[in-house]
Amino acid sequence: MGNPLLVFWTRLFDGDEQRPERPVRRRRVPMASATQASATIFLVLRRMRAPLIVLIVIFAVSTLGLTLIPGQDAEGRPWHMGFFDAFYVMSYTASTIGFGEIPYPFTYNQRMWVTISIYLTVVGWAYAIGSLLALVQERSFRNALALQHFSRKVRRLREPFLLIIGYGQTGELLARSLDALGRRFVVIDQDSGRIDDLYLDSYHADVPGLVADARDPGQLGVAGLGHPSCEGVLALTNDDEANLAATQAAALLRPDLPVIVRTVAPSMHDRMSAFGAPTVVNPFDRFGDNLRLALRAPASYQLLTWLESGPGEPLPKRGEPPVHGHWVVCGYGRFGREVVHDLRAEGYDVTVVEPSAAAVEREPDAIVGLGEDPEVLAAAGIERAAGFVAGTDNDTTNLSLVAAARSANPDLFVAARQNKQASAPLFNAVEVDALLVPAEVVAHEVYAQLATPLLWRFIREMPACGNDWADSLIGKLTHLCGKRLQSIWRVQLNDVGAPALRGMGDRMPLLGELLGSPDDREERLSAVVLLAVRGAEFHLAPPDDFRLAADDELLLVGAPSARRLLDSTLLVDAIREYVLRGRHVPTSWVWRAITGRRA
Amino acid sequence: MNLEKVVFGFFVLLAATLNFGFFLGDLGDPELHNAYELYAAIFVNLIATVLKFGDRTQIGAVHLATSLVADLQLISAALVWGYASYVAADGLTREATASVVSLSGGALVANIVSVVLLVVETVSFHRR
Repeated sequence: MGNPLLVFWTRLFDGDEQRPERPVRRRRVPMASATQASATIFLVLRRMRAPLIVLIVIFAVSTLGLTLIPGQDAEGRPWHMGFFDAFYVMSYTASTIGFGEIPYPFTYNQRMWVTISIYLTVVGWAYAIGSLLALVQERSFRNALALQHFSRKVRRLREPFLLIIGYGQTGELLARSLDALGRRFVVIDQDSGRIDDLYLDSYHADVPGLVADARDPGQLGVAGLGHPSCEGVLALTNDDEANLAATQAAALLRPDLPVIVRTVAPSMHDRMSAFGAPTVVNPFDRFGDNLRLALRAPASYQLLTWLESGPGEPLPKRGEPPVHGHWVVCGYGRFGREVVHDLRAEGYDVTVVEPSAAAVEREPDAIVGLGEDPEVLAAAGIERAAGFVAGTDNDTTNLSLVAAARSANPDLFVAARQNKQASAPLFNAVEVDALLVPAEVVAHEVYAQLATPLLWRFIREMPACGNDWADSLIGKLTHLCGKRLQSIWRVQLNDVGAPALRGMGDRMPLLGELLGSPDDREERLSAVVLLAVRGAEFHLAPPDDFRLAADDELLLVGAPSARRLLDSTLLVDAIREYVLRGRHVPTSWVWRAITGRRA
Repeated sequence: MNLEKVVFGFFVLLAATLNFGFFLGDLGDPELHNAYELYAAIFVNLIATVLKFGDRTQIGAVHLATSLVADLQLISAALVWGYASYVAADGLTREATASVVSLSGGALVANIVSVVLLVVETVSFHRR
């Protein structure tokens, strides 16, 4: 409810049931750093005091001296230099320009004074200019200028924007997808190198970036936390503590904003959830869930990863996981625990291999030892195993684990965890069956939540429909739209989104009728409806004989051209009449009046 | 005793007194208004201005503003004086002197405000 009048109306007449339990107050978000920036300008002025005073004194003394020392004019009569002449001579002498002795040649008295003045004034100038240049070069001064520049850019943003905290691998992936969607965002990161990278990366929109600490609410304020156009906060740093601090700041200062926060520790999850209602994304937890889905329903998992990866991405390969059998998991850190828990919940028998005895205290059957060691792997039962997970936090170890496991049992289903972006080519080369890249998991999940709320809903509800359903939907998608994911968009069948369907009431069309092409209604648009939402109920991939109703919301995937054609059906009465009924109706008012046919 | 305050007060007061000394006397009589005094007033005013740089308090900001006004007035007075004595055909006339002195009179007002501010600041200062 953006219109304040509407809000007022609702408050006044709609009774108490809509009133929130605690009134949401907009607090003033502190912007400490903005004053900090102007403080640095003051510091510069203060530091320039000494050089400027030295310069003024030197100038004053030497000019005064020139007017006092007696000279002589062209005829040899005694003559005193005026203030203007003296100031003029000193100015060009001090700046080492040196026009000579004017208006009359100097006497020896004057020359002696000018000699002294030259040395004094040149030193004075050098001191003043040197101090000024040193100040301009100074880091704190440059930072202050950058901060002012940044806060001005953020203040002037008039479109809704997201605040991305942490421009690591996740932040970068997400920024690219959001930019492709045409969304605006502001980035802060602690590392100045990352902010430099941000300016080097080419985005369609201008992206303000600042080196700042997420723990400082003042700096978050400068980055737009208090800005009326800010529409959400994404805390994606590698540091759970910083993410928690950002969540707290957002929840306390702007309770109305949605917050999406990344963490890898389940304990952090609870601490974050205590502030407002942030959406917490844990990549390990998500990977565990995805792995379960991949094992139970490979086609559902394939569809999920495809839709989450964003427009233009090719259809991922479908894995062929073992249906039952024994699993070996190497590495029992936070990731290992999640995976083991999920695998056991799925009914698999799991053996853990972990070098540190302390980590596996609660795991009585665990084998303590290095997973690369063939004897250790043999003891874990690798020969009879169906699946293997290389889940340590070291990429080199994970790669050698994969190699060791494959040499012991070539038919294994291998899952591995990739920690660093730099190792991506190596993991691609070993061709593991399931690869966890925490940064990508987070980026895809956040993207799915932000792209359109309906996509997120679809992704959450889709696994319940089963593998065969997902398989047939993938078949339909690839048949109509090809092997690359096309754009995903939302259509609202209300007065704004579909004025041509206004007032149809019970005569609302079937879904299959609406998706006819305006060029030839026998042909179908190359678009698939993933989800239809009607109030609280929803239908996944509704069939062609699904009867639409006013105010339905549809989530579609298809070619951009299909989107334009569908829009014209929804907007233009004459096209709607052709697509739905096959009638050719004149579009102009005059012709309609003549023929008496109305759309 | 704070040496910085001594220097600051000295320059602010000296700027006002020199300005007053130049302003004193018949408005149009060049004999009564010494160019050296105007020169000294400009010099001391510039120093006072620089001393006021970088003070972040409200009163500091007003201080700086008054000094800038005084500088502006005095430098315009010097320019008028320079134009009258070097460029104008009939030299330093009564009219030219009057305009120089009245400009410095404007600067005097700004300097007096500056002194008042200094006094206010001193009176309202409490050592805890």
